[in-house]
Amino acid sequence: MIVLILPALILIGFIFGYPILRYIWISFHTSSVANGLIPQFNHGINWSRLINDARFWQDVLQTSRFAFVSVSLELVLAIAIALFLNQPFKGKGIIRAVSILPWALPTTIMALGWRWIFNSPYGPIDRIYNNLTGESLNLLSNPKITWIATVIADTWKTTPFIALIILAGLQTIPKDLYEAFELEGGTQFKALYKITLPMIIPYILISVVFRLAQAFGVFDLIQVMTSGGPAGSTESLGLYAYLNAMRFLDFGYSSTIMLGSFVLLIMGCLTVYCIFKMTKISIQK
Amino acid sequence: MTSLRKYLYGLIAVLIMSSWLIVSLAADQNTVKVNILMPAPFDDSTREIIRQFNKENQRKIEVNITRGPRETEAVSDLAISSLILGKSPYDAILMDVTWLPKYVEAGWLTPLDEWFTTNEISKVEEGAQRGNTYKGVLYRWPLVADIGMLYWRTDLMKKPPDTPYELVEISKELQKEGKVKYGYVWQGRQYEGLSCVFLEVITGFGGEWIDENGKVQLNENSNIRAVTWMNNLIKEGVTPKSVTNFSEPEALQSFKSGNAAFMRNWPYAWKELQKADSKVKGKVGVSTMVAENKENKTATLGSWGLAITKSSIHQNEVAEVIKYLTNEDSQRKLYSEFGYTPTASKVFNDYADSEENGILNNLRISLSASKPRPMVAAYAQISDILQRHLSAIFTDSKDVKKEIYKAQENTEKVMISAGIYKK
Repeated sequence: MIVLILPALILIGFIFGYPILRYIWISFHTSSVANGLIPQFNHGINWSRLINDARFWQDVLQTSRFAFVSVSLELVLAIAIALFLNQPFKGKGIIRAVSILPWALPTTIMALGWRWIFNSPYGPIDRIYNNLTGESLNLLSNPKITWIATVIADTWKTTPFIALIILAGLQTIPKDLYEAFELEGGTQFKALYKITLPMIIPYILISVVFRLAQAFGVFDLIQVMTSGGPAGSTESLGLYAYLNAMRFLDFGYSSTIMLGSFVLLIMGCLTVYCIFKMTKISIQK
Repeated sequence: MTSLRKYLYGLIAVLIMSSWLIVSLAADQNTVKVNILMPAPFDDSTREIIRQFNKENQRKIEVNITRGPRETEAVSDLAISSLILGKSPYDAILMDVTWLPKYVEAGWLTPLDEWFTTNEISKVEEGAQRGNTYKGVLYRWPLVADIGMLYWRTDLMKKPPDTPYELVEISKELQKEGKVKYGYVWQGRQYEGLSCVFLEVITGFGGEWIDENGKVQLNENSNIRAVTWMNNLIKEGVTPKSVTNFSEPEALQSFKSGNAAFMRNWPYAWKELQKADSKVKGKVGVSTMVAENKENKTATLGSWGLAITKSSIHQNEVAEVIKYLTNEDSQRKLYSEFGYTPTASKVFNDYADSEENGILNNLRISLSASKPRPMVAAYAQISDILQRHLSAIFTDSKDVKKEIYKAQENTEKVMISAGIYKK
């Protein structure tokens, strides 16, 4: 039996195992432009630097805030959209196809679009705000609110993805359940809480885990929309790791940031899993 | 008989074809293929020059341009991802001025002294000679010069301001009279453009970023005064608050639509301002950035130049290509057709009294006063630190002195850990 799965194991080892092991190895070495990119073992200096790096922890908070808020928002909207798309109505096929469009767009292109939408003073949002209040909103240059602009852009793009998964879940619910519930005197609103939501929980869980992992690794959206600014208030862990590798040529520290955020992400996903476990919801149907 | 004849004809045809194939293959093998990575706009502008070179050097050298992305740092990302593998597919890279120290320290570039003599260097305009050497060794040969300039409205004033205080005074007056919405627009977004603006302003106030010994000078009083001046521009409404979101296109848009009296931008903006859709067409002048004293006036150097990769196996041929691409004829072509600032003194002289001069005489003055950003391997880090702290001052109302002191401390840490400076 083991012989049969051996090729698959070797392949997985190459694709996933080797890069992770290489990351771990580099994270214990100084591999930067300061030493001509020749890795030198440094007794875990990168790791102690990471723990004491205020910018890293600020990015952890900023990335978590981005991931948590955008995924929550996407989830609520996606459930509503999926419920709507699950209803029988004319032109359902076209509406479904159109609603998936934002997700199909390359992130960099849609991020550039949002950058111009939020631009002040030339973007439409700023113009409307300016007409109403006589002031500029400066959404992309206010460290207190710029992160909200990135959340809006991300929500716009990825809500269709969650909606699609949830829609698939909705379609697995047998119709006779609702009929029986109605016969027992249940209202449509109650059916949502008693039947629909409990039945789609596994799908919600899957999409939340997928999206959390994706949102935690956000890079392109932030890079194009804000480059991490203003005042570093939207910098994500992915962007920080990228800067260290490609701009600062400090591959040792960049790997450490990636591994550090990987550990934190696993802890985050485990927490979500445990919360669902505690509420006795299984991801297996 | 006829079949024999047919057979003979067939044999001759095969012989001719195979010998042609062998000859052309041999010729192809002798042709040295040179691959150069360039940002997309330079691929467009040099295409005709490259075509001409390939025509003149048929069967000897064949140049191929790899079209890189449009955005400066994205080109560097592409170059780095191949250079770190040890054997780059590029024989030469068209490089921004700030990449040089980092690339040299990483061991990716070949010194060019072997191919470019001091006589050839002396033919290059003094300002364009800057930013090509690292630790005294020549690594990059300039293709085009680029410098930060102050654009001003000739219809609103007789002459450009000389000092920062004059600039503010004129701006406020014009704003008060309702002639312009904003006084001065520049690049205030948290990105490299902000570091370029910063360098011009602090130099104008007599300040310095990193001195020649590698010592960080950010917390000097003149720098604090300079940043306070920049901050006051925003606070007092001379510059719109949204400037903290401006990169070059936004500043250009604002100035082009007649909303501002002054703009800081690169020479490319000139051509844009002369287009039919520009509300300030024919009403624009350029000058060197304002300074407290005339001798402190400067322009941030932002030129592009060609460097040969260490892994290239055709370095002599690459040098030949670089010489052709940067010769005076090519420079004339790049200037007259695409508006790129030349680097050779002769080309500046040729255009000095010509109708085609445009702003070239002004560019020459600014180029002579130009200043490269700190030529250190850790430049990307220190610029990143500076941008974050400046952005915090301009967008988050942080105290100027406190933030500059923090920037000083963080920059020092980077310079010390990179081994550039010992405290």
